[in-house]
Amino acid sequence: MTPPRIPPLVQFLFVFIVFFAAALLERSSPVKAASQPDAPASSALLTWAHDIAPILYNNCTTCHHPGGAGPFSLLTYSDAKRWAPQVAKVTASRYMPPWLPEPGHGDFADTRRLSDTDIAILHRWLATGMAEGKLAEAPKPPTYDATWQLGKPDLVLKAPQPYTLSAGGTDVFRNFVLPYPRTESHYIRAMEIRPGAPQVVHHANVLIDRTASYRRQHSADWQQGIPGMEILLDAGNTFDPDSHFLFWKPDTPALIEPEDMPWRLDPGNDLILNIHLKPSGKPETIDVQIGLYFTEKPPTKQPMLLQLDRDDALDIQPGDKNFVVDDSLTLPIDVEALGVYPHAHYLGKDMQVWAILPNGQKKWLVWIRDWDIDRQSVYRYREPVQLPKGTVLHMRYVYDNSESNPRNPHTPPVRVRAGNRSEDEMAHLWLQVLPLHNDPDQPDPRLQLEEAWMRSRLRKTPDDPISLYNLGAALTGEGKYKEAVEIYKKENNARPNDPRTLTALGAALDGAGDWQAARKAFEEALAAAAATHAQLCDAGFDLASIDLRRQQFNDAEKEFRNQLSACPEDAESHAGLAATLGSEGDIDAAQSELRAAINLNPNNPQTHSALAQVLSSTGNLAEAITEQKAALKLQEDDADGWSNLGVLEARTGQIESARHDFEHALKIQPDHAQAKANLTHLPAAP
Amino acid sequence: MSLLTRNAILTTATVLIASGGWLSNSPMSGLHVTDPEGHNISQFAPGNARVVVLMFAATDCPISRRYIPEIARLQQEFFSQGVAFWWVFPNPDDTAAVVRKHELDFSIHSQTLIDTRQELVRLTHVSVTPEAAVFAVNGAGLREVYHGRIDDRYLSFNQSRPAATHHDLEEAIKAVLTGHPVTPPDEGPVGCSIVPATLSNPHSNPQP
Repeated sequence: MTPPRIPPLVQFLFVFIVFFAAALLERSSPVKAASQPDAPASSALLTWAHDIAPILYNNCTTCHHPGGAGPFSLLTYSDAKRWAPQVAKVTASRYMPPWLPEPGHGDFADTRRLSDTDIAILHRWLATGMAEGKLAEAPKPPTYDATWQLGKPDLVLKAPQPYTLSAGGTDVFRNFVLPYPRTESHYIRAMEIRPGAPQVVHHANVLIDRTASYRRQHSADWQQGIPGMEILLDAGNTFDPDSHFLFWKPDTPALIEPEDMPWRLDPGNDLILNIHLKPSGKPETIDVQIGLYFTEKPPTKQPMLLQLDRDDALDIQPGDKNFVVDDSLTLPIDVEALGVYPHAHYLGKDMQVWAILPNGQKKWLVWIRDWDIDRQSVYRYREPVQLPKGTVLHMRYVYDNSESNPRNPHTPPVRVRAGNRSEDEMAHLWLQVLPLHNDPDQPDPRLQLEEAWMRSRLRKTPDDPISLYNLGAALTGEGKYKEAVEIYKKENNARPNDPRTLTALGAALDGAGDWQAARKAFEEALAAAAATHAQLCDAGFDLASIDLRRQQFNDAEKEFRNQLSACPEDAESHAGLAATLGSEGDIDAAQSELRAAINLNPNNPQTHSALAQVLSSTGNLAEAITEQKAALKLQEDDADGWSNLGVLEARTGQIESARHDFEHALKIQPDHAQAKANLTHLPAAP
Repeated sequence: MSLLTRNAILTTATVLIASGGWLSNSPMSGLHVTDPEGHNISQFAPGNARVVVLMFAATDCPISRRYIPEIARLQQEFFSQGVAFWWVFPNPDDTAAVVRKHELDFSIHSQTLIDTRQELVRLTHVSVTPEAAVFAVNGAGLREVYHGRIDDRYLSFNQSRPAATHHDLEEAIKAVLTGHPVTPPDEGPVGCSIVPATLSNPHSNPQP
């Protein structure tokens, strides 16, 4: 059976994909300022070697070294002496090291907050003459490699053109597209960013554009980078939600993922680098390189980035010093939270995020008292935060749109609403969560999170088309077809004749068992005036697939051929036509369609497997084995595939290989009846 | 010819600046201020100058660097109105060679002074970089009418506005040009402390 395809829809808010696309099935496979610190009790003379160097090396020099992201070096005694007045001042005010979360409100890894004692030592060293001390007492200075921190990357992506940041003016927010050039997928265990001019890059977010949609949206000028803070991406035809914080700031050059949670890049993907640049006084060349480090191991854990947001409520009157928004979301499943990323622009002031557990306990997730967009960060928890089903997540953000907020972009203040420019505002919170229970026989548990999230959005904006669409897609993915049909009908009533919605409605109707209505919806999608090429291809594929499944081979063949004359690049339609032709007995034609499909997309295990079956039926066992192995390379956990390979190998006399294949199938699926039976048919081991 | 003289600076400046008085036109013989090529500079106001601005800066101070385009803008704006701008580098490590490289890196085309003896610092009472001092030219005399921040973009190291709302230096220059009194800034300058001359970097290589 070839499952229907729902066209994609994604909205991208600020930097993370909020909405996923088609749900049904994968087509191809079933600071607060400190008061003046007290001087330390010891009256011994403080020296650089004994007292200051250890503090600077532990807290400052990752950025403040020659060539580093900090504007000056703090590696040597003379450096420390040169900058001692500034160091004392900015540590006392807790401007440096950059660290916004309030202590005691979330336990974070890599906390950069300096202790009060260290701050006092820095202050007293300045006040007492900045003695050098005995050099032998100084710790060995850390070394910073100007090249890649993790060694040579497996792949380096570059922006197509360098970008010149002008010498002065306001901060720049720009999006660079870095196409992934490989023809095979890879799992990424680590990433490094080398921005070219580290001192002007404040932070960067890397986004995965699964369908190169952003590049298409800006086909004329994407090479130069596109200005803006908010971008819209199209996630493609599978439920593949954003799952990782690919957040970079100058003191974290290498972004290493947990061993069981690599992320993935597929052929045709782009990385989008959303970057915040601060002019330095001279023109700077931003020539970004992203180094990627591969791993062979696929992820065994699938996190998801959940979002709370109140952009809809942002309407801040000029002069309002205390504008509050809040949002909440009830978790439908047990999860653990791995990291948190609060975000607002220049008016944001106080940001509180907490969870109320089902037993009533309040758990702080993060509290920032004096938000500063320049020092924003993702904060990762030292230990995962357990959030059982029924937990309510809360965010409460306060904005200051008065003249007394120095960061206010407008003088005098003006009315401010949500938007893409830095002078607009945002009220976002991302939380990286990991579902605790993952049953491979059940739909992806993240679909339940998606459903809860979309329902929460719809409570705030009941008519939001993207939330409606994505709720429908989540419900379809969960197998709740009837509910999905209702949602899509609502969306179709509100905005009739949208080809994307009609195709999604068709898929949901088909899932609910009403193939007639599904066919009608697909036909309406095909007739919709506004349909894009991709939307026509999706609807046409789904229509033909229904007739193939109903064994109306004549209709299906005609529809697939129509489809291929309009969408010749559609590998899955070639595969669908192959299935139709094969069912009609035209094995040679089926074989040639499968080869065409593989040519267009060599990464679909089902097509290789289907070709193996066709080849086997024509007696070409050697090539059939090659194709079946290609399929299993792409999908190692396919018990049927191993059993089929065993049959092919047994037929060519490779008994021990066949035995191994059947045993492998049983290892994956111990009750695999066919593999069991096949094993008993093999001659006993010599 | 208007001259800002060592005599004026060292003998009368303190009193006169405090009282807003005029400097007399005296010979410049004792002032150890050079350009990056090492030539002694004794003449700060060219013939047509009505205002002289000393812009104290440090090659390694990030805030000082970020103001370079703003100073270039002001220089452009007042170019035809008789306003002479000088960059002044007072820090011990900002030697002629370091400053020359800085000027190349940041495309600085104004005239530049090396003041490692910090005579101009003491004269003008500046304390950080970047910080400006403005002199009104009257005949042969120079009178300091303003010293302080360039504008109010930075409130502290941790707080800056996206754009300035008060352009103190610009307003001071305009006031002199239009014969109005100069308003002192509301707040002190934000920047990197000027490194005392006695604190020269023990590990840096001496530069010519």
